[in-house]
Amino acid sequence: GIPLIALALTLPWILFPTPSTRWLNNRLITLQGWFINRFTQQLLLPLNLGGHKWAVLLTSLMLFLITLNMLGLLPYTFTPTTQLSLNMGLAVPLWLATVIIGMRNQPTAALGHLLPEGTPVPLIPVLIIIETISLFIRPLALGVRLTANLTAGHLLIQLIATAAFVLLPMMPTVAILTSIVLFLLTLLEIAVAMIQAYVFVLLLSLYL
Amino acid sequence: ISCNKTSVCPPRLVQLSHLHTSPNSQAPVPALPEKGGKTRHGIIPEELFQLLYPKTGVTGPYVLGAGLLTYILSKEIYIINHETFAAACMGTVIIYGVRKFGPDVAAFADKLNEEKVQKAQEVKDLAMTSLAQAIQDEKKEQWRAEGRQMLFDAKRNNVAMLLETNHRERVHMVTNEVKKRLDYQIALQTLHRRMEQEHMVNWVEKNVVTSITPQQEKASIAKCITDLKVLAKVQQAKTAK
Repeated sequence: GIPLIALALTLPWILFPTPSTRWLNNRLITLQGWFINRFTQQLLLPLNLGGHKWAVLLTSLMLFLITLNMLGLLPYTFTPTTQLSLNMGLAVPLWLATVIIGMRNQPTAALGHLLPEGTPVPLIPVLIIIETISLFIRPLALGVRLTANLTAGHLLIQLIATAAFVLLPMMPTVAILTSIVLFLLTLLEIAVAMIQAYVFVLLLSLYL
Repeated sequence: ISCNKTSVCPPRLVQLSHLHTSPNSQAPVPALPEKGGKTRHGIIPEELFQLLYPKTGVTGPYVLGAGLLTYILSKEIYIINHETFAAACMGTVIIYGVRKFGPDVAAFADKLNEEKVQKAQEVKDLAMTSLAQAIQDEKKEQWRAEGRQMLFDAKRNNVAMLLETNHRERVHMVTNEVKKRLDYQIALQTLHRRMEQEHMVNWVEKNVVTSITPQQEKASIAKCITDLKVLAKVQQAKTAK
C-alpha cells in the first residue's frame, strides 16, 4: 500500500493556521477564532475567578479531542482516543487535580459536597459511602465513556463497510447497507458532541 | 536580544530587534487577497490545469488523473477493501455538507469581519461628524464674537446717551431754579414800585383834593358852566348850518 502515514503526519498541520497578527483575517482563521471564543465564553460562564485559570487547559483539550476524533473518521487513519490508556491518562490526572485543589483550598466545602442537602438523618452514613464511590468512579467514567463511544463507532463503521463490501456482488442488500453506513457516519460526526461531554463533565467536577 | 542556536527565538522578537535597521518594512502590512486561490472541483488548484494546458490541452489533467487511478488500482498499489467503501460514504457526507452549508458558513465568517470593520467605521464616522460639528460651532462662536463688538458699541452709545440726558435734565433744572429766584426778585421789585406809585398817587390826590378851596371850586364850576354854554352855542350853530 501507499505510506499514508506521511500524509497523516503532515496534512493535519494545515487545519489550524497560526493566528496572524492582522486585525481582519481570512475566513478560516476568523471562524476558528470565533469558535474558540464562544466555546471559552460558554465554558467559563458558571465558574468563578479561580476556575478561569483552567480556561486554556480546557479549551486546548477540547480542540485536541475534536481534531483527533474528526480526523479518525477518515479512512486509513488511527484514532488515538480509541485506546483506553490515552483516555485514562487524560481523565485521571485532571480529575485528581480538581479534587486535590478543592481539598486544599476549602476542605470543608469539598467534603461537604459528599452529602446532598436535606437528607433524612438515618440515611446519612449510607449516602456518604455512595457519594464517595461516585466521586471515585468519575475518572473511570470519563475515560471509559470516551473510549467506548469512539471504539464502538469505528468498529461499527468497519463492520458494516466490510459487510457491504462483501455483499457487493449481490446488489440489493448493498444499497440498504450503504444507506445505513452513511447514516452511521453522520451520527459519528457527533464525535464532537463526545468532546463536549468530556470537557463539560470535567468542568462539572470543578467545584473550585 | 540575540538569537542563538541553543535558545528558542520567537519570530516576533527577531523582527523587533531589526526595527529600522533592515530594509524590509513591517508596515503597512501587505493586503490579503480578496478571495482564495481558484480551484476546480473544490480540491485541485486551477494552476495545474494552466500548467498542463500548453502540452496537453483541456483534457490533460483529467487524463492524468484517470491514468494515475487506473495505474494505482491495477498494480494493486491501492487495494480496494472495506475501507474504500467507508471512505466513499464519508466522502459523500463531507461533500454534501460542504455543498449545502459552505456558502452559509462563508457568509457568516464574512459577516464577523464586516461587523468588526463596521464598529471601527462607526467610531470613525462619529468622530468625523462630531469634529465637523465642532468646527461649525467654532465658526459660529467666532461670528458671535465679532457681533459682540457691535453690541459693545451699541451699549456704549446707550450709556453715553443716558449720561447726556441726565446732564441736560440737570442743567434744565438748574436754569429753572435760577429763573425762579430771579423772577421772585423781579416780582418783588415791581411790587415795590407799584406800591410806591399808588402811595404817591394817593398822596397827590389827597393833597389836590384838600387844596381845592371852596372858591376855587366855585370859580371852576362857573367856568365849566360858561364853557358848556359856549359849546352849546357852537353846537347849535353847527347843527343850524
